[in-house]
Amino acid sequence: MAMVTVHDDMFTDDVIADPYTYYGRLREEDPVHWNDKYALWVITRHADVVWMTRHHELFSNVVFRNDPRPAYPAIPASDEPLYDYVRQYQADQFIQFDRPEHLEMRKVVHSYFTPRAMEAWRGFVKNAITELLDAAEDQGHMDAMKDFATPLPVLVIAQMMGVPKEERPYVRHLAEKLLYIARGEPDRMQPLVEGMQGMIEYVAPLVNERIEKPGDDFISVLAQGEKKGVFTRHQVLVNTSLLLLAGHETTLNLLCNGTLAFMRHPEQWALFKTDPEGLAKRATEECLRYDAPVKSIQRLAAQDVDMRGKTLRKDDRIRWFITSANRDPEVFAHPDTFDITRDPNPHVGFGNGVHHCLGATLARLEGQEAFKALAQRFPNLHLETETFEYQPSIALRSLKSLPVAFN
Amino acid sequence: MARKLRIWVDHNVCVGNAMCETFAPHVFQLNANRQSEAVKPEGDPEEKILEAAENCPVSAIFVEDAETGERLFP
Repeated sequence: MAMVTVHDDMFTDDVIADPYTYYGRLREEDPVHWNDKYALWVITRHADVVWMTRHHELFSNVVFRNDPRPAYPAIPASDEPLYDYVRQYQADQFIQFDRPEHLEMRKVVHSYFTPRAMEAWRGFVKNAITELLDAAEDQGHMDAMKDFATPLPVLVIAQMMGVPKEERPYVRHLAEKLLYIARGEPDRMQPLVEGMQGMIEYVAPLVNERIEKPGDDFISVLAQGEKKGVFTRHQVLVNTSLLLLAGHETTLNLLCNGTLAFMRHPEQWALFKTDPEGLAKRATEECLRYDAPVKSIQRLAAQDVDMRGKTLRKDDRIRWFITSANRDPEVFAHPDTFDITRDPNPHVGFGNGVHHCLGATLARLEGQEAFKALAQRFPNLHLETETFEYQPSIALRSLKSLPVAFN
Repeated sequence: MARKLRIWVDHNVCVGNAMCETFAPHVFQLNANRQSEAVKPEGDPEEKILEAAENCPVSAIFVEDAETGERLFP
């Protein structure tokens, strides 16, 4: 067996601050790596990630229901009942199913998110961006995370849910608790469960209402799924908040990580400003590749699978790393270079296969409009600090704050 | 008689989401790489084919009138 020189602690400050060096070394030295500390396989090559995600029958998404192993990083024993609640809650998300159930569930929601249907949201997204940047402009500076990237996706999702304007701050308050889903702090279960329970309580009467009188909002779409017998009521409630769980921190990471990449590559920012409209699509794809919002996703082996001379046993835990796949030199020339004109750009920021991110088109649209608006309104945008901290997560690449100034 | 269609899938873009197979199962099939191919353009009604193209999450499906070359999707 090859000598592997990489340690197994994926939560050290070094690895959280710079995942590219750590997972890049694994990609070179041991691309199908057994991590003994966390008892899981770490998959780091682009070709393997694409192959895995397109062979859904070999790699199960039924993780929360079928993985009996404890939460990691560890939580206090007294929080175990809270973790049980989280697992039962998560297990009812449609993404936590395999075919054939997954297909029936995805069919209910899939058409809501088509590229053409999402295009109709561009105007709403633009207006929301304008309002947020108007509020920040007078100050001369902002925390791009707190003042811009965090509220924007919530405004969009609240509108999709048909939440009245005066109730948006409450949904935003719950959304911020749900962000604990991907954190590593030992005491993360309490706020997370409060967010989940709060969402269920908030959404329940809306579901009752829209079972009776369906509209064109996303809750009505899910409610139709219940009428057809595809979803239980609990699944309707849980999948409504899945919009916030899956669509919030991911999008805000795209906006923050992308903005940071632009600020650290002034020549790319200068280039972008020459034609924001024309470059927005490719630039957003490069942001998704270069510093992807999601670092890794989990699966369970559905059967014994051989990969690169190793045997993954049935029920083994697996994490596939977008972070390293998107910097794989086998696929990308100069993979560590931020190049907003890169084309083609077959990054795996949204995964691949039957579980390819349902909200990908919406995330792309929000990224395109956000970067365009920043370039057009704040051409002198610059960082107010040079030191950045990231949330201690192996699932998400999340800054803690992003202070910027405009003049 | 239904008009003849020219249908193709851009493999630089296709992510193997496989929804096209669900909407038009006689037209679209996944190949060995698990990417979609239009194997039988006349396999399903035009309406189903356009629905499949519309529901491709990455807009990888193209549909034309085979005789006139008129673009039907996107």
